[in-house]
Amino acid sequence: MELALYSLPFLWQGVLISLAVSVLVTVLSLAAGVALGTAATFVPGPVRWIIRIYCDIIRGIPVLVLIFTVYYGLSLLVGVNFNNFMAASIALTVFAAAKVTETARGALQSIHFGQTEAGKAIGLGFWMRMIHIIFPLALRRFLPPWINIVTDIVKGSALVSLVGIVELMMSMKQVIGRTYEPMPIYIVGAMIYFAINYSLSGLSRRLEARYAYIRE
Amino acid sequence: MTANGAVIVRIRRVNKSFGPTQVLNGVDLDVRRGEVVSVIGPSGSGKTTLLRCVNALEHYDGGSIRLDGVEVGFDETGGRHRRRKERELSAIRAETGMVFQMFFLFPHLTAAENVMLGLRKVRGKSKAEARAIAERWLTRVGLADKFDSYPSQLSGGQQQRVGIARAVAMEPKVLLLDEITSALDPELVGEVLAVVRQLADDGMTMIVVTHEMAFAREVSDLVVFMDGGRIIVEGRPAEVLENPRHERLKSFLSRLDSNRRREGGG
Repeated sequence: MELALYSLPFLWQGVLISLAVSVLVTVLSLAAGVALGTAATFVPGPVRWIIRIYCDIIRGIPVLVLIFTVYYGLSLLVGVNFNNFMAASIALTVFAAAKVTETARGALQSIHFGQTEAGKAIGLGFWMRMIHIIFPLALRRFLPPWINIVTDIVKGSALVSLVGIVELMMSMKQVIGRTYEPMPIYIVGAMIYFAINYSLSGLSRRLEARYAYIRE
Repeated sequence: MTANGAVIVRIRRVNKSFGPTQVLNGVDLDVRRGEVVSVIGPSGSGKTTLLRCVNALEHYDGGSIRLDGVEVGFDETGGRHRRRKERELSAIRAETGMVFQMFFLFPHLTAAENVMLGLRKVRGKSKAEARAIAERWLTRVGLADKFDSYPSQLSGGQQQRVGIARAVAMEPKVLLLDEITSALDPELVGEVLAVVRQLADDGMTMIVVTHEMAFAREVSDLVVFMDGGRIIVEGRPAEVLENPRHERLKSFLSRLDSNRRREGGG
């Protein structure tokens, strides 16, 4: 256990990188997913189908394959060289955005059409209805599953070690490589991941309680 | 309840189909300023659809609906005839008020905020001004102690009165009521109808789709009976409801009557 304590400052560097990847991917996938989910709900025709196909394809591919595809494949394909941090972030974002899209679409579609009609009846245009009625109502349906996605992102960030990013997982491996003491290090690492995700689920519960007064 | 004002809603030969089903089949109706028109008829007769066409929640296929002179569903400037765009429809809808059978209050907003939303975002009023108007209307519908209650904390009758306040606060040219007591427990119907009666007395122009015949008789200047997407009978409430001559109207009224008796005089 002493060893684990000594390695903490080194692991801390890894934690920061893991968090950086997670936050970046969370923000980007949130923006992309909400935009695509909104489009999939309200824009008819081919736009809807293209988004559906994107989600279906991504859902069927392991994140690891996505990461390798972007890191090794995309640079060949578009002639741009991504560094490993960028490649990994793009791949995780593509993965998470598909999930956020589906979640946002589900949340938006679950809002009763009467809310839209009531908004129309007082003369609110599309974006006014979105901003003041539909998004606030959908938010409460969106948050719990979205926080699940964020915990998946945090856990998924361990995979970016495989393209050589020294985040928490890789830091653990490096410490183990020098000390040959896997158990204490992995236990500490697991506790760190757990602490991050457990505080996220706590946040989710708090938010759900906060919106309990809304009943449709 | 005087009905000698100008025509506010002028409906001519309006047609509407949902797929192969013709729901409106050449409807003509004039509603004058300050007039209360009740629309009665069996379910599926097209009365709710007609109401929804007046504020463009439904698009009609042919004919004309003019709201204070403005064609609701079509842009006809410069000899064109095209369906109106969403933005134009919003402007027209702001001039009508609608109260729904299922209330459809915004559940994340308080009673006052429900009323204020349109005042602020459509009418561009300041927060304080909108709040003052909301409080005035909520007081008038008997909810002076419920400004800051959420819909989930209100009874059905109270929610529907907020729905009415939300609609009338916009000062619509016509108020559309779509079976607004049908989803209420019987003991809550009275409080909602009392509010509507008061609005009628104050000269609000209204089109009322209702199954409450006694109420229709009492507040209406004109009662129209719809069946099969047409207006079949139109006249003063006393003539239409008390001395029905038309066969289908007779059988509709007697059906309602026997239903009421079966439910125990309610």
